[in-house]
Amino acid sequence: MRIRNFLSRRYTLPAAIALLLLSALVLISLRVQDRKGVAFFDRLLMEVCSPFQKASTFVLKKAEGVFRGYVFLVDLQRENEELKKRMADLRRENDQMKEMAQSHERLRKLLQFRETLSSTVIAAEVTGQDPSSWFKSITINKGEQDGVRQGMAVISPEGVIGQILKTAPSQSVILLITDYNSAIDSIVQRTRAKAIVEGKGENRCQLKYLLRAEDVVEGDRVVTSGLNGNFPKGLMIGEIKKVDRKGHGIFQYAELVPSVDFTRLEEVLVIKGSPPPPLEEKEKKARKARKTK
Amino acid sequence: MKRILFLLFLGVFFITLQTTWLASLPIRKIRPDLVFILTLYLGFSSPPVSGGMLSFFLGSLMDLFSGNSFGLYAFSRPLLFCGVQLFKDRIYLESFLSRSLFVFFFALMEGILLLVLLEALNPEPLRNLYPAFVPLFLFQSFSTAIVSPVLFSFFKKGFSWLQAQPRAGLGGKG
Repeated sequence: MRIRNFLSRRYTLPAAIALLLLSALVLISLRVQDRKGVAFFDRLLMEVCSPFQKASTFVLKKAEGVFRGYVFLVDLQRENEELKKRMADLRRENDQMKEMAQSHERLRKLLQFRETLSSTVIAAEVTGQDPSSWFKSITINKGEQDGVRQGMAVISPEGVIGQILKTAPSQSVILLITDYNSAIDSIVQRTRAKAIVEGKGENRCQLKYLLRAEDVVEGDRVVTSGLNGNFPKGLMIGEIKKVDRKGHGIFQYAELVPSVDFTRLEEVLVIKGSPPPPLEEKEKKARKARKTK
Repeated sequence: MKRILFLLFLGVFFITLQTTWLASLPIRKIRPDLVFILTLYLGFSSPPVSGGMLSFFLGSLMDLFSGNSFGLYAFSRPLLFCGVQLFKDRIYLESFLSRSLFVFFFALMEGILLLVLLEALNPEPLRNLYPAFVPLFLFQSFSTAIVSPVLFSFFKKGFSWLQAQPRAGLGGKG
């Protein structure tokens, strides 16, 4: 009775506002601390929305297919798609071979080794995009039931796409490399200069913490270094478009165009297994252990 | 109860549209935020408690499929809802232009609020977000404002139709 009287007074609206905002702040705090209870609530909501998204994407693809396949010259379209796919496969193969050849040449003088990349991948379809313009993410139709876990790397034949940000039983959200919150450890393929690739929004990334003394030019390719444990080494991230040395400081910056066209993304690959750490890191640890002895 | 269920369904429907159809069109960069428009409409037409909870739910839906892991929309949308509740009786909102301006103003406010929250929560300042504010976010707020009066009319007619449905009960016919 007392509570009802209290609520029926003119404090209802301010109390409701305060309670709502407090709940939202508590949720933000729990998310920052990565509490499991909040993730359960998110997973439940995602599962509810999942059938709607999949149905909508299915209808959209059919509609796009009708336009592309019949309105715009059937045969040419099909041939073009096949050639693009083949080119993407060949480009990926070429990048990996270049990386392997450079690795081999560099380390052949120091020691004898064998590098293997053994990881299983999960193929998934893109079912949705980020609903807001501030952030860059996509939704795929594979989730925890298929073995997808938070933090797993996501790639395509063209290159690196991003990392798994959130998971639900049958859906996952991927944070793209063009998002402002994304940061990937990378190296310039030609000179082996180390840097961090950060998202800059709108299909652009920025190369940060690149030492000023490093030789980097427009057109240089940037690949993953394999150091942060999520991404295997040697995966294509993008190409340098502009280098900015600035007037002072120990770092230079470069703008990167990702090798993946995120506006036309339809299928992705989620790397299931984590790669072994690169040999340079293993060697460094072994040398350190020898010195301390 | 029917109204709340209809609003929940509408929220899920709009988020699906925003993440699929609107994202695939050429206007994807400046696509209108339909869930935002629904939240503002809730501010006009719903009581504070149920409307606030619905706006919180709509914000959570946005966070779910968004690249932000903090849950910023679950905070900003109820705040906007409360702002609309405070101003709804003080501003003329019957014409197309006044509604568009109102939505445009609140969209800008939300953008500034999100920038402030991201600055506060992210250890490193997000310098790259500021250049995107004018070319991207301003135009998106404009497109949201243009579409809003049409959607407001749709919501008004939809809810009037829902309320006009005869209730079947002990005293009803049939």
